[in-house]
Amino acid sequence: MPPLDFLRDPEWRRELRADAFGKGFWGFFAAAGILGVVCWLVRGQEAFLDALAKDAVLLVGLMPRVVVALSIAALVYFMLPRDRISGLVGQESGVKGLLVATAAGTVTPGGPSSAYALLAVLAVSGADRGAMVAYITAWATLGLQRVLVWDVPFMGAEFAILRVLVSLPLPVLAGLIARRLPLELHVREEEDARRPKRSGART
Amino acid sequence: MNYGFLALLVLLFVLIAVALRQRQDFGPILMRFCEQFAKLVPRMLCALVAAGFIAQLIPKQTISGLLGDDAGLLALPVAAATGLIVPAGPVIAFAIAAVFAKAGASTPALVTFVTSWSMYAAHRILIYEVPLIGASFLRLRALSVLPLPFLAGGIAFLAGLLTHYGMLPVPWTAG
Repeated sequence: MPPLDFLRDPEWRRELRADAFGKGFWGFFAAAGILGVVCWLVRGQEAFLDALAKDAVLLVGLMPRVVVALSIAALVYFMLPRDRISGLVGQESGVKGLLVATAAGTVTPGGPSSAYALLAVLAVSGADRGAMVAYITAWATLGLQRVLVWDVPFMGAEFAILRVLVSLPLPVLAGLIARRLPLELHVREEEDARRPKRSGART
Repeated sequence: MNYGFLALLVLLFVLIAVALRQRQDFGPILMRFCEQFAKLVPRMLCALVAAGFIAQLIPKQTISGLLGDDAGLLALPVAAATGLIVPAGPVIAFAIAAVFAKAGASTPALVTFVTSWSMYAAHRILIYEVPLIGASFLRLRALSVLPLPFLAGGIAFLAGLLTHYGMLPVPWTAG
């Protein structure tokens, strides 16, 4: 079929709208509204408008990143040899898998849009819960790019090095804890995979 | 911050080049892009606005008084709790950390704050984690990383007993 046919598929478009403006969206919408009212009442109109202005600036900066990050994640999703990933960071991978996930998180460039989009790819590639937690923890706390761009200029190189050294064992530890917690984990991607006609089913 | 975006752009172009060489079918790739975009962006807009309001409501000055050297290890829970509620990206989080540093916050407290923020940054959870991965992963991860800010601060505290390396004052905050 021609590559863009899915755009005209009414079923697909309906599901896309449900994903975009479902229950979750209205929850967020209500939270934003309530917090806006609280902010206006507590801090006054000036703070309220100041917050909105900052949001607008942030949004303009954010959108190109989101588009690029999601493009990367979509490409990686189809290009990565997923069976090999599950060997590296799957349930049988032990501490080695957590170390691999930690290293991957440390070198993942970009903000949360890229890290979480790649985490979603990891989730459908058979990474276990410990590796997923270790990956995102490593990105959050050890991410090289973040340390260089934020810690060093704001807090000084010495503080940055100290913080990184102190944080080195944390992602593996978090992964080990995650493997032992008796919690159920349903990843959105896996739910998608059970629905036909979605890209998530193409595993 | 622009370096990060450049790195992403380079990565994207490399991937596209490889995909072209592999003769990948771009239809499904574009389809997945649209699906992820739909999941993410509408919620992201609302969460962004909500986070902006919360940032206005946080009492920064009051908190920085509780993070000084005198507070010792007691500063760690305060720092961890503060990191938890800062619902903003690195620009605002590190600006707040710098405010704390200037107000005399101790290094272990700052390590705890930065670690706690990096793990729980509320905007990130709302904007990306829940829409893309799901609430059950958030629950699992939040519990798994719970001790980490305290551990990081604790280790930094012990390190401070042995060496002054990395201990504040940060060069430009002195004086």
